[in-house]
Amino acid sequence: MANQLLEVKNLDVWYGDFQVLREVSLHVEEGTIVALVGANGAGKTTLLKTISGLLQPRKGEIFFSGKPLHNLKPQDIVDRGIIHVPEGRRLFASLTVLENLRLGAYIRRARINFDESLKRAYDLFPVLEKRKNQKAGTLSGGEQQMLAIGRAIMAQPKLIMLDEPSLGLSPILVKTIFQLISTLNEQKATILLIEQNINQTLKIAHQAFVLKIGKIVMSGRGDELLANEEIRKAYIGERAGKR
Amino acid sequence: MGDFGLISQVVVNGILFGSMYGIAAIGLSLIFGTMRIVFIAQGAVIVLFAYFCFWLFSLLGIDPYLSLIPIILASLLLGAAFYYGLFKEAAALKDRIGSLLIAVGLMFFLENFMTVVWTPNPRAVVTSYGFYAFNIFGIHFTLTRVIGLLLAILATVGVSTFLRKTLMGTAVRATSEDVEASTLMGINPNRVNAVTFVIGIGLAAIAGTTMATTYSFDPVYGFDFALKALVALTLGGIGRVYGALLGGIILGLIELLGTFFVGAGWAQAIVFAVFLLALIFRPYGLFGGASE
Repeated sequence: MANQLLEVKNLDVWYGDFQVLREVSLHVEEGTIVALVGANGAGKTTLLKTISGLLQPRKGEIFFSGKPLHNLKPQDIVDRGIIHVPEGRRLFASLTVLENLRLGAYIRRARINFDESLKRAYDLFPVLEKRKNQKAGTLSGGEQQMLAIGRAIMAQPKLIMLDEPSLGLSPILVKTIFQLISTLNEQKATILLIEQNINQTLKIAHQAFVLKIGKIVMSGRGDELLANEEIRKAYIGERAGKR
Repeated sequence: MGDFGLISQVVVNGILFGSMYGIAAIGLSLIFGTMRIVFIAQGAVIVLFAYFCFWLFSLLGIDPYLSLIPIILASLLLGAAFYYGLFKEAAALKDRIGSLLIAVGLMFFLENFMTVVWTPNPRAVVTSYGFYAFNIFGIHFTLTRVIGLLLAILATVGVSTFLRKTLMGTAVRATSEDVEASTLMGINPNRVNAVTFVIGIGLAAIAGTTMATTYSFDPVYGFDFALKALVALTLGGIGRVYGALLGGIILGLIELLGTFFVGAGWAQAIVFAVFLLALIFRPYGLFGGASE
């Protein structure tokens, strides 16, 4: 078995009296794209928030490069090499593009390589260099997503977790974002991805997990799940019909 | 000159006095920005530093402007101690009511503490140059008040530069905008909160020294001062450093011009009427949109 970068074991997460995740286990191999799919409210975002330390699990363990993660504070988890690009991007709208990128490299390990990382971010997204002194809130939706991903790579992460990166973008930009995710992956980043665009997601994912009401109900290679009748009916057909 | 000269004098005094509200308001603004609480003890802390200044002057004969050095150093320690000792737990639980109650408790503690140590009688630091003044176009400028204004401007420029030019300053602004997102950048919210507290209390040290050298003060004067700082903050717009200074100056003008034209009692009523009007019609401050 290849090198496991992230391992989640039997995770139970509660919001107050409400259990959101039930015995969730998954693993992410180094250098792969792993997709997490499921309907709204299935617990995908909750899982990412638990991995990044914003939420505490009631039960279960998370290991990163073999070391336990579930007792660490969010800032230490960033330091270990996990970066979480949250839903809705959560840029600092009143700060400039450059300031957002600077904060991406806030942790000491990343700070010393700031110039190098900045060059990489600008190479990937030339538009960010053009708009570097503009406030992030004035960017278009596509540019904002580029900034969110650019800001994430400033931290020199080993694992990038993306929560709905294509949300609210035009079809052509959605395509760009998916190409970009593949590019990042070719540049050795491991990616854990939540997406509504199940079709495109499963095409690029090496491995995928299906989350349903807080439980992992299915997992397999992206193309396997894409060919799966049940998945096609439940998630790909679903987008046209009921929500 | 006649009335015009007199009014100019009131205007100048209003500006000089208001700058003190201004730097108190900057401290409130920073702490509100990151922790979302009104640090109502700010005024009592300012008075505490005025007493420090008074003590260093009357017991050790240290010039009040020289005493700024030990007072600012003490304020930095005190700021960190306040945060880590009193507010850290409540901040971690995002318990704003708890934080506010702690601030209220701190204010009453300091008021009573100061009453015991320094008696309720008003005090002032009266230096040999305390009454020195110069005239420009017939307007009287008291030296200590002018120095107070210069210190306030210097402190404001300093804080603004810190917020704009340093990584920690950028982190403070980011945390004010979105704590969770800043946490995801690896920013430790405790450190940011502590930094804003240290700066806020540092500004209180400067305001306290200015207060000691220009006015008389007593242990319970701080509450009124904190309320005025809150008004200044509202006028200037939360999160705007220069706005807060300007808000303080506008408030100083309203207060002194109001006192001059309609009397001290009405002036206070007008101040808080302006506060209410600003909250209703200009909730983001007099100087523009939602944030900078």
